[in-house]
Amino acid sequence: MALTREDVAGIAEYARIALTEDELTEMTAYMNEAVDMLQPIREYDLAGVEPTFHPIGDLSNVMGEDVPDTDVRALPIDVALHNAGSSRDRSFRVPSILGDEGGDR
Amino acid sequence: MARNLDELTAAEVATGVHAGDFTATEVARAALDAVESRDPEVQAFLEVSADLALAAAARTDERIAAGEEVGPLAGVPVAFKDNMHLIGTHTTCASKMLENYESVFTATCVQRLLDAGATPVGKTNMDEFAFGSSTESSAFHPTCNPWDTGRVPGGSSGGSAAAVAAGEVQIALGSDTGGSIRQPASFCGVVGLKPTYGAVSRYGVVAFGSSLDQVGPFGRTVADVALAMNALCGAGRDPYDSTSQECAVDFTEHLEDPIEGKTVGIVPELLEMEGLTAECRAAIDQTRRAFEDQGAKVVEIDLPNISSAVAAYYVIGPCEAFSNLARFDGVRYGHQEQGCATLAEQTSLSRAHGFGAEAKRRQMLGAYLLSSGVYDQYYYPAQQVRTLITQDYARAYETCDVIMLPSSPNTAFRFGEISDPTAMYASDMYTISNNIVGNGGISVPVGLGADSGMPVSVQLQGPAFKDRSLLQFARAVERGCARDALVAPGLAGKGGELA
Repeated sequence: MALTREDVAGIAEYARIALTEDELTEMTAYMNEAVDMLQPIREYDLAGVEPTFHPIGDLSNVMGEDVPDTDVRALPIDVALHNAGSSRDRSFRVPSILGDEGGDR
Repeated sequence: MARNLDELTAAEVATGVHAGDFTATEVARAALDAVESRDPEVQAFLEVSADLALAAAARTDERIAAGEEVGPLAGVPVAFKDNMHLIGTHTTCASKMLENYESVFTATCVQRLLDAGATPVGKTNMDEFAFGSSTESSAFHPTCNPWDTGRVPGGSSGGSAAAVAAGEVQIALGSDTGGSIRQPASFCGVVGLKPTYGAVSRYGVVAFGSSLDQVGPFGRTVADVALAMNALCGAGRDPYDSTSQECAVDFTEHLEDPIEGKTVGIVPELLEMEGLTAECRAAIDQTRRAFEDQGAKVVEIDLPNISSAVAAYYVIGPCEAFSNLARFDGVRYGHQEQGCATLAEQTSLSRAHGFGAEAKRRQMLGAYLLSSGVYDQYYYPAQQVRTLITQDYARAYETCDVIMLPSSPNTAFRFGEISDPTAMYASDMYTISNNIVGNGGISVPVGLGADSGMPVSVQLQGPAFKDRSLLQFARAVERGCARDALVAPGLAGKGGELA
C-alpha cells in the first residue's frame, strides 16, 4: 500500500522536520521508492529466528564507575553552553515549551 | 637531495623524524605547502589546522631534542573526517546544521593518533552526516577525485581518501557505516580498513548508525594502515565507549608472513551481479591469480542471504540515524531558528533549515519504519535477517580465512552521474553486509581499470577481531599486484618539498 502525501506529512511532523510543499511531493515519491526496495525483508519466513540488534554477541556488559568524571568528560557550564544558539543565566534558553495555553502554569 | 614529502610512507616519515634526517616541523611545513598547492584542485579539506599542526610538530621536535620518547607516528601528517571532534577545530559533519560548531572535546581516535606523535593537518570533507557514497551531499563543496577531478572521490569519507591519494597527508581517519571507508578508498586508489566493530573507539565521533559505525584508517600502503591501527588500538579499550573492545596487538607483526596454504573464499553469485563492471570483475581475477601464485587456495563459498543485505541495511541504518539525529534540536548546539513562538516550531524549522535533502530522507525513512505497526513489518524482521547473514558468514569462515569480493561495482563515477538516491544506495552492495555482521573489511588497490583508467580495488573481509590477518592478506595483494603510482600522478610532487 503506497504512502500518501498526507501520510508523509504526518511522519514529517513526528520527525520534527518542517517540509515545504515541494519537498513533500519529492519526499512522498522517495519514501515509496525506498520502501519498495526493502521488500526482500518481508519475503522471508522468519519463524523461530532470533533478532540480532547488535553485532557484538556473547560479551558481558561493561559498567563504568558511578562517579562524576569532572576531569575529562563532564563539561564545565560555560563550555557546555559554548555552542548553544541562545543561553541565559547558565542555562539553555528556549521558546515556550507548552505554547500560549501552557504559558502560565 | 630535496625530496617530496609525498614519496614517503608514514613509517618513513616517523623513522626520519626519529633519526633526525628532518624535523617534524619541516614535515609539517611541507604537508601544509602540499595542501596549499593541491587542495584548490581536490578540495579534500573543510578546515586546515595549520596552527595546531605546527604546534604539535614543535612539541615533537622539543621532545626529541630533550631526549624523550616520541611515538611511532612522530611527525606524520594526518587528517580527520569532519565528524571527529578535535579541540581547536570545527566539527561540521559537512552540514549547515553544525556550520559554526566548535569542538569542545577531542575524540579518542583523534587523541590516540596525536599521542603517537602525529601532526594534525586538518578536517576533511564528507557526505553530510555520512549519508552518501560520493561526498556530493556535503553542504559546503564537493571533493574531486585526485586521479580525475571530473569524478567523485566516493563517500562518505571522500575527503579523507582524497587527501591521502593526493599526497597531502600520509594517514587519514574515516568512519564506515555501510562502506564509507572501503568504497572511497577504492575510488581513490588507497588502502582503507574498516576494522571489526568495537576495535576502535567511537567516543567523540558523531553517531550515524550505532550498531554499524566503525572508525578506521586510510593510507597509501598496507603497512601505514597497520601502523595507524597500532596507534588506534595500542592503549587498550576506551572506557568512554561501551562498544570498545580490547584488541591491542601489533598489527605490523605478521604483515610479511607468507599466505601459502591459506584459503581465500569467493562468492560466485556476487561476481555475476548486474551492475558489476568488467574492470572491477577483472580485478578479482587478477588478485585471484596473485593469491594462487603465492600458494593460497581459492575456494567457492556461499552466502545465501547476502542479496538481502542492502534491504536489511536500509531498514537498520535509517532507523538508527533517525534516533541519533534526534539530538539536533537547535537547543544545545547546531543551527537555531530565531523568532519562533514555541519550542516545537523552533525544532521543526531548525531541522528543516539545518539538514540537507539526504539527511532529511534518511530520517524520514527511519521515522516511518519505527512507527507503530510498521516496526513489526520491517525493523524486527530486518534484525532477524541480520542473524541469518551473520550465520552465513560464520559458516563460510569454517572453510576459508578471508573472503574476496569487489569493493564497489564500479570505479569512480562523474559528478552528477548518479542522481537518484536509491540508485546511489546500490554503490554499497558489496560493503554493507560486513557492517551488518560487524566484521572487518579492507579495500586494497590493484591498479587502474582498463576501461575508465581509474583506480580499481578488491575488498577482503575477515572474521571478527581477525583484522591483523586481514592486513596480512592485504599485504599479499600489494605484493602480487604492484601499482605504478601511489600518489595521483597529476598532483604528485606539486608543493610539499621536504627541505
